[in-house]
Amino acid sequence: MGRVFNPTEVTGRPWLKEFAQAPCTLIFDDFVRVYFSSRPHADTNGQYVSYTGYLDLDRSNLFRIIRIADEPILPLGDLGMFDEFGVYPTSVMRCNGRVRAYYGGWTRCSSVPFNVAIGCAESRDEGKTFARLGPGPIMSYSVQEPFILSGPKVRFFNGKWYLFYIAGSKWLVSEDRPEPVYRIRYATSDDGLNWTKVNLDIIKPALEANECQASPDVFFDGSRYHMFFCYRYSLNYRNKERGYRIGYAFSHDLVNWQRNDSMAGIGVGPDEWDSEMVSYPHVFELDGATYMLYLGNQVGRFGFGLAHLDSAL
Amino acid sequence: MKWKRLGLLFEPKKAKHFAGYEGFAQSPQVLQVDGLNRTYFSIRTKDVQGLFRSHVSYVDFDGSFSRVVGYAGKEVISLGELGTFDEHGIFPFSPCRVGDTVFAYTCGWSRRVSVSVETATGLAISHDQGESFERLGNGPIMANALHEPFLVGDSFVRHYSGNFHMWYIFGQRWISHPHTKVPERVYKIAYAKSKDGIQWTRLGQTILNDRLGVNECQALPSVVFWDDQYHMVFCYRDVFDFRTTRDKSYRLGYASSRDLLTWHRDDSQVESAFDDCQPGDWDYNMKCYPHFCVSGERLYLLYNGNDFGRQGFGAAMLDV
Repeated sequence: MGRVFNPTEVTGRPWLKEFAQAPCTLIFDDFVRVYFSSRPHADTNGQYVSYTGYLDLDRSNLFRIIRIADEPILPLGDLGMFDEFGVYPTSVMRCNGRVRAYYGGWTRCSSVPFNVAIGCAESRDEGKTFARLGPGPIMSYSVQEPFILSGPKVRFFNGKWYLFYIAGSKWLVSEDRPEPVYRIRYATSDDGLNWTKVNLDIIKPALEANECQASPDVFFDGSRYHMFFCYRYSLNYRNKERGYRIGYAFSHDLVNWQRNDSMAGIGVGPDEWDSEMVSYPHVFELDGATYMLYLGNQVGRFGFGLAHLDSAL
Repeated sequence: MKWKRLGLLFEPKKAKHFAGYEGFAQSPQVLQVDGLNRTYFSIRTKDVQGLFRSHVSYVDFDGSFSRVVGYAGKEVISLGELGTFDEHGIFPFSPCRVGDTVFAYTCGWSRRVSVSVETATGLAISHDQGESFERLGNGPIMANALHEPFLVGDSFVRHYSGNFHMWYIFGQRWISHPHTKVPERVYKIAYAKSKDGIQWTRLGQTILNDRLGVNECQALPSVVFWDDQYHMVFCYRDVFDFRTTRDKSYRLGYASSRDLLTWHRDDSQVESAFDDCQPGDWDYNMKCYPHFCVSGERLYLLYNGNDFGRQGFGAAMLDV
């Protein structure tokens, strides 16, 4: 259907200068709130930080932006904390009259460029501002998940909380800088706070043994669970040939997933903004229709677009 | 408690076996093997950037720590892979017998950019009486958490009354030095419990009262059961200027408990060991990284001295 939001056209918001990444929706009566992550211009060393903010779309016309948040929903973490250099991506869910957010918190390392762990924050004002539940992560590194826990997507199915996320397994040494390999995993919880990791990669790689996967976005349509996600080659991926594409898998039990990317039904587009890459899908149902928000070229440098599900999955 | 100081037990720069290292023998911790006191410590190399890395080795003493009877053939565990929590060093390293195996709780170091370091606790297992250890996996068994946001480490584990008990530290905040602006960390001793030594439940609070105020830094707890109660030795310091100023640097603290839950802090019980310490002594400016160990029905206190153990480690013996 085309691009919904172009971050390069926004003014007056220092935190929203480049990129609009990892969209995630929260539905209101009159509008659809879309959380996304954006960045101020890079610092003098060329390094970025990421903030999460939101914009509101008219529920009856998803291409009409009603408002854009003035400020990010959460400040960056304090000195030395796991989320000192970024809050990205973010996934939200309503919970006991509040809005709960799970997010990737970024720190900078010396031998590798970064590490990520999953933080949690809550909003008491309908998702406009959030406060951390604590200064540390709610899910961090463990024996079988040694680094890069990121891309959380929180869901509630059958009385249980599910967190789909990615976990890093190794860093590859390439020409310019180390590149991580990461895969989709999940954990379950009774309260959304204490999580039990399954410690399994649930989506088999299709491109290569070191395929990187992200944005595991799951929904239930009444008969089975569907997951849209994105995947790419591990090295030399900043181009059309090896960059992100959107994949698809389905499951009857949330444990065993059958991958079939040809059913994703979306590829690179004809327009300039998504002609090389599509990634970070988020699927939501609204007023009887199913939509997907997704990123275009350079993982959302030029914003995100909207697609409509035309056929049954 | 009345102590008799035994002086330096081990000086890495005087041991030909460790000629390739830059010195330091930090955090001595004992595993008893066939009547020997196998004493692990962290010793340093310098990497290509000139930065230190800590590696784990050991020296074997006789039962009374009076004689060295052997050394580790090689480092007992490698450092972690690129980007993992223990890539830049393991210090300290804490052994604990579990059945026929030895569990070692490692404190893995990895360097950061805005602050100097992050740590987490790893687990490695030995099937050869502690000569070599294999990691459970590339990640830690205990890392930062919601209310313990960084610098989880210094884990020390003992099995008492059907449970594994862990004393460890976690960081509370980084604060910048008022003049140098260098970030320094505040960390405290805490406690966790486990049925298997692998999955831990944290108590979620500190267990010792502060003597130096809220920014007191507490490290390296070591616990022993002796004379009908539990004894803990640890070290503590001010948050700033501890590297250069004697009255701000590490000294030893002490606490006792009968139930492993409530601890009564009374640092005078170990301070008395240093009443006759003189300027120029190897342990005059600093006392740190202590370890309690019972051998031959005697209670020993191993520890490091000046400059965080650069010269080596020594011991004191309870005078009974």
